[in-house]
Amino acid sequence: MPATITEREGESAGSAIITNDFVIKFANVNGSGSASANSLFAKCVLRMGVPIAARNIFPSNIQGLPTWYEVRVSEAGWLGRRGGVDLMVAMNPQTWAEDVRSIGPGFYLFHDTTKPLPPSMARDDIHVIGAPLTRICNETYADPRQRQLFKNIMYVGALAHLLGIPTDTVERLLQEEFAAKPKLIDANLHAFHLGRDYAQSSMAPIRLRLSPADKVGDRIFVEGNSACALGAVYGGATVCAWYPITPSTSLAEAFTAHCKALRTDSESGKAKYAVVQGEDEIASIGIVIGAGWNGARAFTCTSGPGVSLMQEFIGLSYFAEIPAVIFDVQRGGPSTGMPTRTQQSDLLSAAYASHGDTKHPMLFPADPTECFEMGALAFDLADRLQTTIFVMLDLDIGMNEWLCAPFAWEDGKRLDRGKVMTRDDLGAGIDFGRYLDVDGDGITYRTYPGAHPNKGAYFTRGTSRDRYARYSEEGAVYTDNMQRLLRKFDTAKSLVPAPVRRDAARRTPYGVVYFGSTTPAMHEAIDALERQGRHVNALRIRGFPFSDEVFDFIRAHEQVFVVEQNRDGQLRALLINEGGVHPTRLTPVLHYDGTPITARFITAEIAGQMKSIETMPVSD
Amino acid sequence: MTYITKPKFRHPELEQNARGFTRRDYEGKVSTLCAGCGHDSISAAIIQAVYELDLEPHRIAKMSGIGCSSKTPDYFLGASHGFNSVHGRMPSVLTGANLANRDLIYMGVSGDGDSASIGLGQFAHSIRRGVDMVYIVENNGVYGLTKGQFSATSDRGSRSKRGVVNHDAPIDMVALALQLGATYVGRSFSGDKHQLVPLIKGAIAHHGAAFIDCLSPCVAFNNHEGSTKSYDYVREHNEAVNFLDVITGRAPIKLDQEAGALAIVEQHDGSTLRLRKIHTDYDPSDRVGAMAYLTERAAAGEIVTGLLYVDPNAEDHHDYLNTVEAPLNTLDSEALIPSASALDKINASLR
Amino acid sequence: MVFEKVAAVYSADGRRSLKPTGEPDEHYECDDVLVAVGQENAFPWIERDIGLDFDQWDMPKVDPVTFQSSNPKVFFGGDAAFGPKNIIWAVAHGHDAAISIDKFVHGQSVEDRPPPMVTLVSQKMGIHEWAYDNDLSNDVRYKVPLVDKDVALKDVRTEVELGFDRKLGYAEAQRCLNCDVQTVFSAPLCIECDACVDICPMDCITFTENGEEEALRARLNAPAHNTTQDLYVSETLKTGRIMAKDEDVCLHCGLCAERCPTGAWDMQRFTLDITHADHRCQQR
Ligand SMILES: Cc1ncc(C[n+]2csc(CCOP(=O)(O)OP(=O)(O)O)c2C)c(N)n1
Ligand code: SF4
Ligand code: SF4
Ligand code: SF4
Ligand SMILES: [Mg+2]
Repeated sequence: MPATITEREGESAGSAIITNDFVIKFANVNGSGSASANSLFAKCVLRMGVPIAARNIFPSNIQGLPTWYEVRVSEAGWLGRRGGVDLMVAMNPQTWAEDVRSIGPGFYLFHDTTKPLPPSMARDDIHVIGAPLTRICNETYADPRQRQLFKNIMYVGALAHLLGIPTDTVERLLQEEFAAKPKLIDANLHAFHLGRDYAQSSMAPIRLRLSPADKVGDRIFVEGNSACALGAVYGGATVCAWYPITPSTSLAEAFTAHCKALRTDSESGKAKYAVVQGEDEIASIGIVIGAGWNGARAFTCTSGPGVSLMQEFIGLSYFAEIPAVIFDVQRGGPSTGMPTRTQQSDLLSAAYASHGDTKHPMLFPADPTECFEMGALAFDLADRLQTTIFVMLDLDIGMNEWLCAPFAWEDGKRLDRGKVMTRDDLGAGIDFGRYLDVDGDGITYRTYPGAHPNKGAYFTRGTSRDRYARYSEEGAVYTDNMQRLLRKFDTAKSLVPAPVRRDAARRTPYGVVYFGSTTPAMHEAIDALERQGRHVNALRIRGFPFSDEVFDFIRAHEQVFVVEQNRDGQLRALLINEGGVHPTRLTPVLHYDGTPITARFITAEIAGQMKSIETMPVSD
Repeated sequence: MTYITKPKFRHPELEQNARGFTRRDYEGKVSTLCAGCGHDSISAAIIQAVYELDLEPHRIAKMSGIGCSSKTPDYFLGASHGFNSVHGRMPSVLTGANLANRDLIYMGVSGDGDSASIGLGQFAHSIRRGVDMVYIVENNGVYGLTKGQFSATSDRGSRSKRGVVNHDAPIDMVALALQLGATYVGRSFSGDKHQLVPLIKGAIAHHGAAFIDCLSPCVAFNNHEGSTKSYDYVREHNEAVNFLDVITGRAPIKLDQEAGALAIVEQHDGSTLRLRKIHTDYDPSDRVGAMAYLTERAAAGEIVTGLLYVDPNAEDHHDYLNTVEAPLNTLDSEALIPSASALDKINASLR
Repeated sequence: MVFEKVAAVYSADGRRSLKPTGEPDEHYECDDVLVAVGQENAFPWIERDIGLDFDQWDMPKVDPVTFQSSNPKVFFGGDAAFGPKNIIWAVAHGHDAAISIDKFVHGQSVEDRPPPMVTLVSQKMGIHEWAYDNDLSNDVRYKVPLVDKDVALKDVRTEVELGFDRKLGYAEAQRCLNCDVQTVFSAPLCIECDACVDICPMDCITFTENGEEEALRARLNAPAHNTTQDLYVSETLKTGRIMAKDEDVCLHCGLCAERCPTGAWDMQRFTLDITHADHRCQQR
């Protein structure tokens, strides 16, 4: 049985071999070409059938600042961040101190031994290992650029030997990667062997090992942004307008790439989609709303600052009832905050975006598989609810490759365009009132511009109007409309994805709610808590507005932990605000330093809270 | 404003166009603008232009921002869909609508505040992208709806109704449009339908970004002595370089003017622009020349009007994006959703 | 009921009579037959030697202005004067005949008739408020409600037309075209903004270069073909053009004046104070 974090926690120097369960972290310099080497390493592990969770931690800059790549190897399949480092590949002198500090006692520091370690940095409770990467490189390559690039492949070679990655796995991956440029295969292999040979001849074995397992299955390794983009393609999106912002940029880029492959008309070679890089986020959402108004499925992708700029338009979409989809790949706020770090801190600004009384449905994917599903679903929802739908992912899911279930789609699935009156309906003389609630669900029929020569035209506006879209600022007319919008929001409860419940093995007064990228760490924490004899029932929220099930769950528990990645407990605030939940029932568990939440953190927090609740004097 | 609806009665001899519509069939709701507002005249000119082009109202989409001018789409083409969006953002909404359905005609109506201040960026970028549209700025030199503050097109030295002098330099939207690559650029005056109606017709027939700066006096806040956007001032300083006739279909082209004073321009859609030149040496196919001439005349205090630039073979945003002929909003599940097997392939590439 | 077919035939003196066409009779089945009986003017009882001349139809010769016959002491009006018309005409005839008689008995010339008094009063009250009801109804004429056919047929003395009730009467009255309210133009006030042109539902108003009437009529926004109705043409405006209005089709709706920013258009109520047969019609 693989080791679990509880058993490993606080573990110090030992001699037992640890197989398929450790954290290796690469500390690099941004722009040094380390990304492809690190990714090669990650893929090698996956190809050995060992699950991994990989995370990029990178700065808001293009070249020269520190970047880390953390690979958690876990045969048990834990995909969240565990916390701690077992093998630090320290390639960046800038971050020496903190990199060395983060290594668990008894574990490993790997460094470029060309230059000796500064004595001040040394720790005597860790193993320092390494290879003279720069020296070998300088001896082998004349071109400084090559020296830098191949240094990275070289440490992969050394690690391959130390951890036990078969050479043919590396060869196959390089062949796939550089199928189009065979010259590069050999060059890379050469560097790989330089590193490997050095390790073989000059380095002592370490306690960390990789061993082939069969634990990956048919899972795929993909970024959430790419998955969202693919979801948008399958969801029938034809118009994408966006403005570059980390961490959402790769979503638009992926959409363009997916469309090129999947949406180019085979006969004419023309595009069945349009991607426009707007001049800013306001223009981007404006384009989306114009296209949505005109019956095309359209989206934008952005992050917190973009959502701030889009506020006025989002209100228009809410009040004039125009479908739109916004992928909010959240990052660390407020303001420019930590632009390349992750957070779940846009919940409130998205849920209630814009002035006046507004609320918007949100979807919370927990991994790329759900990014794909919800990415497609969002467009059906936008059309059905005729409003803005937010897909709330974050940098962690969006920009990191996650190991997740393969994407699935049923052929024959149709786009649900919601309530649209067609030319025939209009011709048949059906009474058309753009804001007339004929079905009682708060959702009204719309027409596409140009649908009928003399019926169904109306004037869309952000000003108050009556059920037939005629301008009116009469109090009763206005409130009638605002009440209907509430009814519509109520209807949305049954349309957004239902929460997922996981019950503890035993009856417990404790519940926990969480969502999105917290999920894998949460699952691991629940397991860890259980091993401590602490049981919690768990509910993963997947959509806003919250369904009754969410509030039933809260009511059914004495204490509910709300685990999220922001400072102010935004999910908790939403639960209190929307469900009238008493604040004391909801205990916040908050992680917001910009790094993805870890299982160790959640476990410690919840365990600590439980202890203090249990020892609290009972009041009468 | 008037608040009673215009009687349905019409002139017994009111003519019908080829679609069987009278001009009155293109009207909209009763205007709520001030009596005498230039914007209402522009609405009437739009109605006349669309009527004369025999267009079906439902093939037109009217887009606007916020302002008195931006309210006007409610007052013309009542059988067309309209979209009164948010302040300064009409161009992006229009761009999106146009991407969704390239088959409709997009008429963007805006004000000088809407387009030269808050929306200057969006104005610029929609022109840059070559969005196929008619973009009309109803230019009164003030913010009408917020009661008469100077706008970015107010001339330096012009006086507000309360006597305040404007010190900021004006933005000339025509010069900007030329610089940004608009492929049809005109300027006119709400008080001169002879010039304005054909200019709008030509813009509608134009494939590409067509921009018209239409001086449109605000009778409430900018029609006094000292204003450079009043009826009197514009009439006195109006320097028309040409007058336009737009000929569609098979109508024969009459040449009743001496050669040299007449230019014939064939547009993309088969329409013909017949330019009666007032300034015979003004060449509306020369973008750089037009910019130089405008700068020179503006310095002399003249307001140059007419068709100032046209590129009859212009391309539009869809041409650049290489989108399919069928409007994107008509593509069905069949056309849009890739197969499950395509997804399997993608899955395989991610292992 | 059997009908004999006839056709109208005119004699040399223009007299109309109905002659059988010789076609077969036509038979119509019916439940009831109502016989409408007309009347004819005939004056066989007037002696032909009292100085009263008769025309070819045996009707008295009457002056159409003074209503005096060829016998100066005898005046005719109504059906008796020019054949059947309606009661409104008859009342008007009575008015004018009374003036003639008044003048005649005072020994004055009946030809010398003082004109009626005319007043024009501005109707503008606010931005869009008028002293007259300018909101025209687009409704078509309302039918006067009738008594049920069965009731009507039972008794020939039954009043068949019920008249309008309050609501219908109001609706019908809304159809009034306010012929008494005139558009009055003041050229010096006009800034030629086109607002009146744009709003006029009837295309009555045109700003154009002045010219000969025929050419001008053809140049209007909607050509004015009714030459019996004068055009309303202003003096020259600032731009050198004139305002020309086709009065023939004007609805008197006042929208031109509502839209006019300067008050160059006004709607003025025209009152005709007809001449009365008393001291006011005497020569002073
Ligand atoms: C975001 C925003 N800021 C301010 C306003 C207030 N506002 C309404 S209209 C207007 C100016 C309109 O000026 P212009 O476009 O020239 O139109 P005009 O009324 O002169 O025709 C302003 C500032 C608004 N509606 N929205
Ligand atoms: S305020 Fe000026 S721009 Fe606005 S309606 Fe009145 S006249 Fe027109
Ligand atoms: S009163 Fe009415 S119909 Fe007559 S000119 Fe004025 S607007 Fe036209
Ligand atoms: S509305 Fe008044 S000011 Fe304007 S053109 Fe007509 S009469 Fe002249
Ligand atoms: Mg303005």
